[in-house]
Amino acid sequence: MFDSKVVRRRRAALAIFVVLSMVMLTASFGQSGGGILGALQGGAQTVFAPLEKGAGRALKPARDLFGWVGDTFDAKGENKRLQAEVEDLRKQLGGSATAQRDAEQLRALVKLNRDAGFPTDTKPVAARVIVRSPTVWYSTVKIDRGSDDGIKKDQPVISAGGLAGKVSSVSGGSADVTLITDGASAVSAQVMPDGANGIVKPEVGKPDDLLLDFVEKKRRVTEGTTVVTSGFRSSRVESLFPRGIPIGRVTKVDLDEVELYQRVHLKPFADLRRVDFVQVLTSRGRTATEQAGVPAP
Amino acid sequence: MRPTPGAFLRAGAIAVVAVILQLSGLGPLRFFGATPDLTPLVVAAVAIYAGSIPGAAMGFGTGLLLDLLVGGTMGPSSLVLTAVGYWVGRYREVRDPAHGLLPIPVGAVATLGWALAFAAVSFMLDVGTTVSPLVLREMLVATALNTIIALPVFWLCRRVLRPALAVDPLDARRRRRKPRGTGPLGLRGLEV
Repeated sequence: MFDSKVVRRRRAALAIFVVLSMVMLTASFGQSGGGILGALQGGAQTVFAPLEKGAGRALKPARDLFGWVGDTFDAKGENKRLQAEVEDLRKQLGGSATAQRDAEQLRALVKLNRDAGFPTDTKPVAARVIVRSPTVWYSTVKIDRGSDDGIKKDQPVISAGGLAGKVSSVSGGSADVTLITDGASAVSAQVMPDGANGIVKPEVGKPDDLLLDFVEKKRRVTEGTTVVTSGFRSSRVESLFPRGIPIGRVTKVDLDEVELYQRVHLKPFADLRRVDFVQVLTSRGRTATEQAGVPAP
Repeated sequence: MRPTPGAFLRAGAIAVVAVILQLSGLGPLRFFGATPDLTPLVVAAVAIYAGSIPGAAMGFGTGLLLDLLVGGTMGPSSLVLTAVGYWVGRYREVRDPAHGLLPIPVGAVATLGWALAFAAVSFMLDVGTTVSPLVLREMLVATALNTIIALPVFWLCRRVLRPALAVDPLDARRRRRKPRGTGPLGLRGLEV
């Protein structure tokens, strides 16, 4: 009934495609971003970037229309929330102004150099998002600026509301950005004004809920406080992100008796599922050694 | 499908348009927390109209393009879409379905299969963080969205592929053709 030749050909075709996929998977892990596959990806992205830009712009009205329908439903709740937030921020503003003045005076008193941080010591380059990762398992976007615009690998990326991610690869006219909601992302962060440190990690499938992990139990973290990048720096390692980029607001604190650390849930400021424009911080400011006048090794 | 340059060109055009639309157009659109996914639909469409080998080839090519353009790990999309294309093609070859609403269940099963298999491959490879159960909900919503758009997507793919198809399995005329006159036992020559 079945032609054995056809069956053999069919199985051979399937085997070839599966083996090719496995070879690519293995090579992809072995080369970690470089090598032939990296060059292939860079080449394909350069070739298809104009098409992607064009498609993105052509389809923007349709996207905006669907977005507008959704936004209209959310607007009422959003308005109420924002009003409450404005009231809260007004209360904080008075205290912050006094604290800043005190900090400036104390800094001058002990002759402490100002730490490189955000937004000072950074030079943002605005970019449009042209491609979004289609699956929930990888949170990456591609932007229409690349090495020609001074963008380099590992530079921090911010969106309207706060930290968005970091540049993971660059080609001439485009760059890939790994968002903070990607499974491979981890950001050293600090709760303000409590000062508790931890690592912000995502939970796959919940882009509106990040986890601040490894926060010591003795540090009290309250709901509603802001989490920013800590921008730690030691003699051997340095955070990719400058100090002070807002990440999100604390929504819940899990205090499990058994766990060594408390797990803090936060809602990111940036709406990373609908981000259209981002800024790449192309200037990292001077390092601690440079500030102290010591030449870098 | 006859393996002619025209056939490759048509299937390639479908793959490129679907991937570009998916990455640049549909990406930010979210309905009930999920996004429709064109890629498994076009692979399933080519497989159901052309068979298992073209389906597997289409799956591999679409996955490769997806991996190339998204960046990151190469291979998982092409591996999973190859399997999706092959099995949908085999279903067509073994069952020879011809119902006009066939794209709906085929699209739904292909999408769910793609989502579950991709999740399994991602788990095995490099997901280094916790996974929320909400991922399951997103998969189901995406499957429902794809079920809704399956008919027009399959129809478009069929329109593009038709000149290159050796046999169109969903050709309604083939099924609706009136049988020649037969007798009460269904045998010709025994007409009453």
